[in-house]
Amino acid sequence: MKKKSFTMLLTSLLALSTLLAGCGGNNNQASSETASSESTAKPVETEAAKEDVKEEPTQIKIMLPLNTTDTPPDTIKNEVEKLTNTKLTYQFFPADTYEEKLNSSFATGSLPQVTYLKNQTTFIQMKEAIKDGQFWEIGPLLSEFPNLSKLKPEILNNTKVDGKLYTLYIGRPLARQGIIYRKDWADKLGLAAPANVDELFEMAKAFTEQDPDGNGIKDTIGIVDRNELTYGAFKTVSSWFGTPNSWGEKDGKLAPEFTFDEYFDTMDFFKKVREGGYMNQDFAATSKTDAVNMFTSGKAGLYIGGSIQDIDTLNKDTIKLFPDAVLDTHSMVASPEGKYAQWMIPGYNNVVMFPKSAVKDEAELKKILAFFDQMMTPEVANLMYWGIEGTHYTVVDGKAKPADDKDLIEREVKGFKDSVIGEYETNGMYQSYNVLPGRIHAEELVLENVKVGVADPTVAMDSATYTEKGVEIQQIITDATYKYMYGQLDRAGFEKEVENWKSRGGDKIIEEYNALYKK
Amino acid sequence: MQPEPEIYKSSSVLKKRLWRNKLLYVMLIPGVLYFIIFKYLPMYGLIISFQDYKPYKGIMGSDWVGMKHFSRLFTEPDFLNILVNTLVLFGMNILIYFPIPIILALMLNELQGTFFKRTFQSLFYIPHFLSWVIVVSISFVMVTMDGGIINELLSYFGFKQINFLLDPGWFRPMYIIQVIWREAGWGTIIYLASIAAIDPGLYEASRMDGAGRIRQVWHITLPAIRGVIITLFILKIGSVLDLGFEHVYLLLNSMNREVAEIIDTYVYTAGLRQGQFSYSTAIGFFKSIVGLIMVMSVNKLSKKMGEEGVY
Repeated sequence: MKKKSFTMLLTSLLALSTLLAGCGGNNNQASSETASSESTAKPVETEAAKEDVKEEPTQIKIMLPLNTTDTPPDTIKNEVEKLTNTKLTYQFFPADTYEEKLNSSFATGSLPQVTYLKNQTTFIQMKEAIKDGQFWEIGPLLSEFPNLSKLKPEILNNTKVDGKLYTLYIGRPLARQGIIYRKDWADKLGLAAPANVDELFEMAKAFTEQDPDGNGIKDTIGIVDRNELTYGAFKTVSSWFGTPNSWGEKDGKLAPEFTFDEYFDTMDFFKKVREGGYMNQDFAATSKTDAVNMFTSGKAGLYIGGSIQDIDTLNKDTIKLFPDAVLDTHSMVASPEGKYAQWMIPGYNNVVMFPKSAVKDEAELKKILAFFDQMMTPEVANLMYWGIEGTHYTVVDGKAKPADDKDLIEREVKGFKDSVIGEYETNGMYQSYNVLPGRIHAEELVLENVKVGVADPTVAMDSATYTEKGVEIQQIITDATYKYMYGQLDRAGFEKEVENWKSRGGDKIIEEYNALYKK
Repeated sequence: MQPEPEIYKSSSVLKKRLWRNKLLYVMLIPGVLYFIIFKYLPMYGLIISFQDYKPYKGIMGSDWVGMKHFSRLFTEPDFLNILVNTLVLFGMNILIYFPIPIILALMLNELQGTFFKRTFQSLFYIPHFLSWVIVVSISFVMVTMDGGIINELLSYFGFKQINFLLDPGWFRPMYIIQVIWREAGWGTIIYLASIAAIDPGLYEASRMDGAGRIRQVWHITLPAIRGVIITLFILKIGSVLDLGFEHVYLLLNSMNREVAEIIDTYVYTAGLRQGQFSYSTAIGFFKSIVGLIMVMSVNKLSKKMGEEGVY
């Protein structure tokens, strides 16, 4: 009996909820607009706008990755809407799981009019769909927009698919990687910034063994690294050793980086550093957050990987605990043969696309492009990148100086900052006014790096096999690389894994790239 | 709750009965709709495991490829490995984890005084409310070789430090310890509830006959909750290959992949992250079939042994 009444309760509850859902049906419009977090915005405003003589604001839905923990408030959005006569609906999704969101939205045909991807890898995955005509080609329209046509042609070229342009790019300096290190420690031990890879090793060793923080306990290490080969320390150091950027020429043919001797030199380097105890032992399982924490908590002295422009954030957290700490950046580290090299990204870190499923016709596309054209004016670019003048930044010497309240900027501006198209050369926004010597140094190094920059020759190439399973089989190499560095694989063992990679599609990728390379 | 085995002589009797209970049937509708919409209609999506599904072409437009994705799965060099890993973790769940809530419940039941009982019970189940991310991070901080407390203690007492996070040999113990730590207390709740429903008279009678505590547990408590144990066991088998994707994914790294990659993590990386929808659907399909077969066989087995089973 008891059981029965419980079931009845359940069924009646269900009945009630369907009823309620039915009543809610009228509000369809409202609820679809609310779909994106908090941007219910003001229906009042739209009505007010209607009464004005002005053209009605363009409605645009935008989906983009979020690199902070919380969705930003509408402060910046409202200002942008005013400046551009638009009604924007932002759908922020956490960057960590963005691929997932992107793929599932795509699979269900629910991508919004403006879709930001996450990085190069997600872009490659979309290529097949792009070729199939799922996204608007914007190349021919670009010349109609004075600001958009300023975008750098060489970077636009890197984002073309089959020679056609479908995307706008979010510009990034080509080579921003290097070392952020504790200069106070180095000074104390009488060390200069490492001029070559041997000195880098020596510095890691000295930071571990010579008690650089002077507390009498051997509780520091040299390098802190994380579970990421590309954006961690590995790729950066490998380029210092002379390893090509992903693909390089060998006997007149393109070959993947891990078949080069320099790749092995790099693995040997990390193996030696790890065995000596000069880096964190668990780096294959260390997250970025943990790695950064080890540096800012005074446990490690060398942070390699990621952008040297991050020194501001690292510095902010380090001096909380160690007010006397001095951080500096460095990037020119010579190979054993005395050569300099830095790997480069293709000049963008993300792109934005316009799905045909959401943008009905060319007229609508043009309206949306007009919004992006306005985004590339200094006024809008500054607003989205730096925030509101006086609140989030001030202008000093014609440059933007971020306000002291870094958390406020992080909360209100960061989400939009990562969506700004182009770079300061093209959209005319302020450059950053830096106070921190290490950051000023970093800006110089970013320019220096490009002079010895090594590009990935396959960036604009298309390999069907790579698109299909390149990322999947790359895992074999990643795992093997870590195992080699941990001494669980020797050279022969590693090469066997490379054979494995080849047999599972790698051979085809090599073939396809080389077919294009000869052209 | 099973339909009574009545034979209706004519449809008019049936109609009458339907009419008499019309309200009940109306109330049934939302439940049925729920299952149709959320459980059965999505099965339509399984079709894509027989296609080269392209999102922009849709299910109607994508090309049929027959069993291609299934044969790819079964010929994938890692497949056997992944299946073995999944089954090993599942076996550990059944053999090591499953009895623990029962033992805990029996122990808690023997505690005198409701205050202690309640306090301990709460302490045991609180970890259930921490997310896996937090559980894994806590253990990371404790066992890392870079200053983790456990390794510090090991070296303080002169032992060799252990690489818990990267050593493939430590992955499974870490996994099951975390499962027990987080879930065991939560699992006791149902058992405690069913123990509470036992007639105290039985205990009194047995005490009169001179039964000690252990005897009471063996002859009264355990038989009384046997049905619950079996039901939970069958349900557990049903989720045979669901081992907590998030948990394993967080523990997974390049060094322990050979023992840590399971079907769920593989589906995630191959499917959602790399956009191979058809392939990952095929894997998920395979997983569900295995689960279904196992539930049906265990259910049959339990009925043969004279228990009720779950259906």
